[in-house]
Amino acid sequence: MALRELSSLEKYLGLKKPNKYSTQGDKKVPVLQNNNGPPLLGLATIACHLVKEAKRPELLGDTAESRAVVQQWLEYRVTKLDSCAKEDIKIILKDLNLYLQDKVYLAGNRFTVADTLMYYGIHPLIVDLAVQEKEHCVGCSEQLSVSPRVRDQSEAPISPTTTTVDAAGQRE
Amino acid sequence: MELFVSEGNPHCLKVLAALEVTGVQCSVQYVNHEERVVPFLSRPTLPALILPGGLHLFSSNAICRYLFEVSGQESSELCNQWLEWEATDLQPALLQALYMAVLQGKGSEVSTVLQGPLNFLDQSLSKGGTPYLTGEAVSVADVVLWAALYPVLSDSSQALGEHKSVNGWFDRVASVHSCLSAAQKVLQGKGLQGMKSYMQRQPAPQSSQGRNTQPCNCNPA
Repeated sequence: MALRELSSLEKYLGLKKPNKYSTQGDKKVPVLQNNNGPPLLGLATIACHLVKEAKRPELLGDTAESRAVVQQWLEYRVTKLDSCAKEDIKIILKDLNLYLQDKVYLAGNRFTVADTLMYYGIHPLIVDLAVQEKEHCVGCSEQLSVSPRVRDQSEAPISPTTTTVDAAGQRE
Repeated sequence: MELFVSEGNPHCLKVLAALEVTGVQCSVQYVNHEERVVPFLSRPTLPALILPGGLHLFSSNAICRYLFEVSGQESSELCNQWLEWEATDLQPALLQALYMAVLQGKGSEVSTVLQGPLNFLDQSLSKGGTPYLTGEAVSVADVVLWAALYPVLSDSSQALGEHKSVNGWFDRVASVHSCLSAAQKVLQGKGLQGMKSYMQRQPAPQSSQGRNTQPCNCNPA
């Protein structure tokens, strides 16, 4: 999953040369093999590295405040979403819905890499929800599936209906 | 800018240590554990920082990172990596360790629970060959990891076991005076017992096995 996301992110960022990834441990933490130094570990860390590599620093936030908010949601993704219990899904979506009520994107008015990674993390949760429940989370589902806000920008969103091939060339 | 913390909350130790180390000007309010400072979160979450623009930060690591950045120390990729590891790998083990030590009186089993993360930290420190996690000077990664480990490691030296590099690093960071003064503010000199009322309000940690076998999103349709 994580490797597929990173490869989608690379495409969105327009990085020409695909990076080499592997995973580590039971939790399959992504590892980026780096020619110029030691390997980088962790989905959020690698995503930020790719954004810098693509010279798109604005995707990490354009002020100290928005950079902090971006990092916060990246952390939220890898701690809360990636290990959430079934009964927590509704609370998470409710909280996000309330948060997004008066915002266009997670860090305010500008699209950031936090939107991409949160999108990938929430997508499977939203897909599981019954249609009726989705209506209670207008803000989230709007951001995630209906509105072109995120979809257009994250060029290759992971669709639940198509099989994609991850960076390692494995079908998931 | 306003920072909300509660006594006995280990995450608040991180942000208070970062605040003291960076010397950033910010008003600090002590509230009780149940106070809902962040309006959009269903569960009370502390610490919380209200940013000048009105946005809320509710992750202790993001708050620490922000305090370092506004004091002129932007975090490097290596810092990012340590902060992510702290949140995803160290915290679940620490939560379990604190739960056992503070509420179940099983302090002797703490070292078993922390074995994995401490091994990783020890190996990285000895391989890196620098006094601190990311180089020759204290960074946000040192402050966050030190503060996260402080309640457990200061209480029972046996938790450290044979981790010599961690031991040396832990003492080096502790010698930064402001770190210990933050610990005093949060734990009130009561050690682990100072965290009892906080721990009683936390859900029992899931066993690490349960977490890995049933993550809700490992199953794309």
